[in-house]
Amino acid sequence: MIVRLILQRLAVSVVILLVVSMAIFFATLLLPGDPAQAILGQQATPERIAAIHEQMNLDEPAWKRYVLWLGGLLTGDLGVSAATSQPVSALIGDRVGASLFLMIAAAIIAIPVGILVGILAALRRGRATDTAITGVTLVLAALPEFVIGIALVSLFATVVFSVLPAVTMQPPGTQVWDFPAQLILPVLVLVLVVSPYIARMMRATMLEVLDSGYVEMARLKGVPERRVILRHALPHAIGPVAQVIAIQLAWMAGGVVVVEFLFRYPGLGQALIEAVNYRDVMVVVAITMIVAAVYVVVNLLADIIGILTNPKLRTGGGQ
Amino acid sequence: MPQTDGLSAQELMRSKDAGSERRSTVLTRFWSQRQAKVGVILTAIVVLFAFVGPFLLPWLTGYSATEFAARPFQSDGLFGTDNLGRDVWSRFLAGGLNLIIFSVLATLVGLVLGIAFGMTAAYAGGWLDSLIMRANDVLLAVPQLVVALLAVTVLGPQPWVLVIVIGVTHAPRIARVARSAALNVINEDYIRAAEMYAMPRARILAREIMPNITGPMAVEAGLRLTYSIGAIASLSFLGLGMQPPAADWGLMINENRIALSLEPAGVLLPVLAIALLTIGTNLIADSIAHASANTNAGGQ
Amino acid sequence: MKSASGVSHRSGRLSRRAVLSGAVVVGLGGLLAACSGGGLPSAGITPTGPPKRGGTLRVGFVGGGAADTLDGASATNLGDIARAINMYDTLLYRDDDYALRPMLATAIRPNSDATVWTAELRSGVKFCDGRRLTARDVVASIERIVDPEDPKGGAAGLAHLTEVVAVDDRTVEFRLDSPDSALDDVLGQYSMTIVPADFDPTAPVGTGPYMLDSFVPAQSTVLKRNPHYWGDEGPYLDEIELLNFNDTDALINALLSSQVDAVAQIPAALSEVIASDERMRILESETGMWLPFTMRVDTPPFDDERVRQAFRLVVDRQQMIDQVLSGHGQIGNDMYAPFDPDYPAFPQRTQDIAEAKRLLAEAGYPDGLEVELVTAPIQAGVVEAAQVYAEQAAEAGITVKINRMDLTSYWGDYLEYPFSQSFWYTRNFLPQTNSGTMPDSPFNETHWNDEEFISLVEQARGETDGARRGRLLEDAQRILYERGGLIVWGFSDQLDAYQAYVGGLVPNATGLPLSGFQLHRVWIGDVA
Repeated sequence: MIVRLILQRLAVSVVILLVVSMAIFFATLLLPGDPAQAILGQQATPERIAAIHEQMNLDEPAWKRYVLWLGGLLTGDLGVSAATSQPVSALIGDRVGASLFLMIAAAIIAIPVGILVGILAALRRGRATDTAITGVTLVLAALPEFVIGIALVSLFATVVFSVLPAVTMQPPGTQVWDFPAQLILPVLVLVLVVSPYIARMMRATMLEVLDSGYVEMARLKGVPERRVILRHALPHAIGPVAQVIAIQLAWMAGGVVVVEFLFRYPGLGQALIEAVNYRDVMVVVAITMIVAAVYVVVNLLADIIGILTNPKLRTGGGQ
Repeated sequence: MPQTDGLSAQELMRSKDAGSERRSTVLTRFWSQRQAKVGVILTAIVVLFAFVGPFLLPWLTGYSATEFAARPFQSDGLFGTDNLGRDVWSRFLAGGLNLIIFSVLATLVGLVLGIAFGMTAAYAGGWLDSLIMRANDVLLAVPQLVVALLAVTVLGPQPWVLVIVIGVTHAPRIARVARSAALNVINEDYIRAAEMYAMPRARILAREIMPNITGPMAVEAGLRLTYSIGAIASLSFLGLGMQPPAADWGLMINENRIALSLEPAGVLLPVLAIALLTIGTNLIADSIAHASANTNAGGQ
Repeated sequence: MKSASGVSHRSGRLSRRAVLSGAVVVGLGGLLAACSGGGLPSAGITPTGPPKRGGTLRVGFVGGGAADTLDGASATNLGDIARAINMYDTLLYRDDDYALRPMLATAIRPNSDATVWTAELRSGVKFCDGRRLTARDVVASIERIVDPEDPKGGAAGLAHLTEVVAVDDRTVEFRLDSPDSALDDVLGQYSMTIVPADFDPTAPVGTGPYMLDSFVPAQSTVLKRNPHYWGDEGPYLDEIELLNFNDTDALINALLSSQVDAVAQIPAALSEVIASDERMRILESETGMWLPFTMRVDTPPFDDERVRQAFRLVVDRQQMIDQVLSGHGQIGNDMYAPFDPDYPAFPQRTQDIAEAKRLLAEAGYPDGLEVELVTAPIQAGVVEAAQVYAEQAAEAGITVKINRMDLTSYWGDYLEYPFSQSFWYTRNFLPQTNSGTMPDSPFNETHWNDEEFISLVEQARGETDGARRGRLLEDAQRILYERGGLIVWGFSDQLDAYQAYVGGLVPNATGLPLSGFQLHRVWIGDVA
C-alpha cells in the first residue's frame, strides 16, 4: 500500500519534470533572433552560421530539437553558452558544489533551530516568550531575502561593525570553504529566511498535538510531562513539520540566487544571474532545469515522508 | 520568501462558518488586534511616502529624481549623493511608486487567475479539476524567482513582464486555497438547492460561493502582496526590473551598494522602506487570518 | 556600480576589442609626463632606497575567463595583456611618457614613400630557453599574426603587408602594398609579440622579463624570473601571481584584506575611500581612453550635420567628467587622439543649449526630437554616461530614450545602431582612424564616409615628412571637429591601487593598468 503510493508519487514527479522541461524548452523558442548569430556575434559568416546550425540541430523541427536537447541534458551535454562559447557544463561544474554547500550548511543550522524555537513557543503558549517568538518570525517571514542580507552586511561588515567580509573573496584556485569567515553571512541570511516558517509550523503543529486526545490521555495516565512531549506529542508533529522542512529546502534551491548575488558567492545562483544579464539562454535553461529537478526531488521526499509518517497508513496502528 | 499555503489558510479551512453576516465582526476582530494596527500604520506610512513623494519633488528637496547634485558619493544634501551624483533623498522619494503599483497589479493578476481556476476546479470537478491541479503542480515545480528570471531572459526586463510572470506564478497557490475554500461550501445543501432551482452556474459561483471564500482570499491577497513587493524589489535589485535611470528602491540599493561603507543612506533608506512595507502587509495578512479563523488553534 | 568588468567578454575571437587592445598607448610627447591628477594622495611615494630583489607580487584584476590565453598575440582581457607584456617583447614599445622606443628593434626606418620599412634587431637577445633571437624568428612571428587561416588581434593593422623578409640575421624588411607612415606605431602594440619560429602556445617561450611557471585559465597565472632577460632594469621579483577575480567588489576587498598586493582598475568613485586607508596608495595616470557617443551619419536624423552639432552642443563636458568619472578625467573636444603630437588646439566646445536649439529648429525640429540611445555595460562608465547625457540633452528639447541591452544582444547588432556608444583605449590619430573612421575600417561605428577626409588620410599615410603630415592630419581633424559623427566628451584617467610596500609603480601614459603592466621594474620593499 505504502509502496504503491510512493511509486505513484514517483511517477507523477517524473511526469511533472518532463512537462516542466517542455515548458522551459518552449520558452527558448520564444527568444527573438538566431541563436547561432548570438553565439558568433561579429564572427558570423554564412558558413559559420550554417555550421552552428548543424551542430546545434537548429534546422530540425521543434519537437525533434526538444528530444535531442532532453537527451543531451540526461547525458550531461547542456549546450553551448552564447556569452563565452564554452560548453555550459564547464561553466556550471564547480558552481553546483558551491551552491549545494551553502544550502546544506544553512539547512543543518536552520532545521534544528526552527524546530527548537517552535517547540519553545508552543510550550510557552501565550506567554512573553511565545509572543516575542511569534513576532520575530512574522517579521522575518515578511522580509525579502536581500533586505535581510543588506541589513546583516550593514550590521556586521560595513556600517556598524567590520567583523565579517561583505563579499566572497575566494582567491582563484581555492574553494569557498577554505575561507570559512566569508561563509558566515550568506549562510546566516538563508537561515534567517527559512527558519521562521519551520518554527511557525512546528509551533502550530505542536499546539494541535498538545491539545489532542491521546496527549490528554497520556497526561491523565500520569505520564511525566517531559515524556509526554517527547514520546507522545513530538512523533505526531514530525510529519507535517517534515513536509514544511522539505518545502523550505526545495525553496532554497531558488532562494539561494539572491543571496549568491548579494555576496558574490560563486555558485549556481550567481551563474544564473550572469546568464540572464547576458541573455545566455542555454545556461539559464540548464540551471532552471537543475533547480526544477532539485525542487521536484525534494518535494517528492517530502511526500514520501508524509506518507511514511501518516498514522492512518501505518499497519498495526497508532501509538 | 518561501511560499507555503500559510498555516492560517489551514485554520480557515477548518472554520465551519463563513458567511457574510460575519464580515462586520471579522472587521472588528481584525482591528482589535494590536498587530493589525501596527501593520496598517506601517503600510500607510510607506505608501504615503511612495505616492506623495514624487509630487513633493523638487519643492521639498530642490532636486528632481534625475538631476545631479554633486559628484558621486559625496555627503552633500540631506542624505548624500548616489552613484551618479544625484540626490539620494530625491531619488528615495520618487522610488516607491512603481514598486507599489506593480506589486498590487501582480497580486491582482494572481488573484484573478487563481480564483478563476480554483473555483472552476472545485465546481466542475472530475477531469477538469484534475487537469487544473496537475497544471498547478507543474507551475509549482519551479521556484517563482527562477521562472521570473527565465521570463526576463526571453522577454526582456520590462515591468509588464514582471507583473504578468509574478502574477501567473501566484495563481497556483491561490488556486489551491480558493479550491479548498470553495469545496467547503460546494457540498452544502443550499448549493444543491440553488442548482435545483436551475440558477445559472455563473450566478451560483458569484452569489453563493464567492462570498464564502473572501476570508481565505483576503489572507492570500495579503500574503501574496507581501511576496510581490519582495519579488519585484528583488528583481530590480538584481538589475532585471526597473532600468536606469528610473528611480526605484530596489535599483537604488544595487546601484549604491558599492559605497555602503562610504554613504550608506543610499542603500539603507530604501531598504528600510521595503522592510517596513513588507512587515506591514504581512502583519495585516496575519491579522486577517486570525480575525476570520476559529480562535481555538494557535491563540493570539 | 554594477561591475562591468571592463574587458571584452568575447575573448578568444577576433573581436573589436582584440584589434583595439594592441594600441593602448597614450602620451603627450613628454608634456604630461608622470603627473597624477584628481587631488589624490601622491602616487609616487613608495618605499625608499634601491630596488630590492626577491619576493612575490600578487596582482588582482577583473576580466579573465575560460578563454584566457598564453599567446600574447591573441590578448584580449586584462589577464592576457598582463601576460603578453611580461612574457614577451615587441619590436618597439611606448614608454611612460608615451614616446615610441626601441625594444627588440634598435631602429626602424621607412623608405621615401613609406612602402618598405627596415628594422634592425638588437643583438644578444635570448629567449627564456636560452636560444638566440634571430630575424627568422621575427619573420615567423609576424607571419603567424597575419596568417589568413588564423589571424591574430593585430592582423587588421597589417592588412597592407605583402611580405616580411629576413634580409640577414639581424635585419627585417616589411613590404607593404600601400604607403603607411605609421607602421612603427602598429609594431609598437603589445600584441605584436616576437616569439621563436617554432612557437607553441601550450609551452610558450618569449624574450620578456618573466616566463611561465603555471597557468590556470580564469583563475591564476604564476610567472617566474627569466634568467636570460636582455634588459638592464630588473626583473627584481622572483615571482608574479596574476589572480583573476569575478568582480570589482571582490577585487577591492582582496586588496583591503591584503590578499593581493596590487589591483588593476578601481572604480573612480571609490578611489577616495581606498586612498584614505593609510596602507594603500592610488596610482592615477592621465590617459586617452574615451567613451564616445556614436551617431550614424547615414541615418536620419543624424545625416543632417546640424543635428549632429546640436547633439554635441548639449553636452556639459565637465559635468560628464564629474558625474561619470567622479572628476578623474580630462575634457574632450570631439576629436579622439589627444596624445598624438598633431592633436590640434581648436577652440574648446562647451555646452550651448540656445545654439543647439537653434540648429535643431533650422534642421526641421523646432520642438525638439526623440531618439533612442542604445547602451550596454561594455566598459565601466558607459551606461552612466548615457544617463548623464539623457539628462543634459533634455534641456534642449531632445528626449533620449535609453535602451540598455545585455552584452550578447548588443554585440549582435553592433555597428547598426543609429545612436549608441563605444569605448576605445588611447590611440594616435592614424591607427585610430584606420580602425574606426575610414569606410573600410572594421569598426566604423558612425559609418563615416567623407571624401575630403578620406583623401587627407590617404595622403597622410604616404607622407613621411613630419611637418607635412602634421598639416594633413590637422585638416582631417578639423573636418571631424566640424561635422563628424562622434561626441567625444572626455578622456578617462586610469586608476589602480596597491599596497604601500610595492615599489616601482609610476604613472604611465599608456592607459594600461599598473604602470602599463611593466612589472619588470616593480619590487617589494618595506613600508614607507
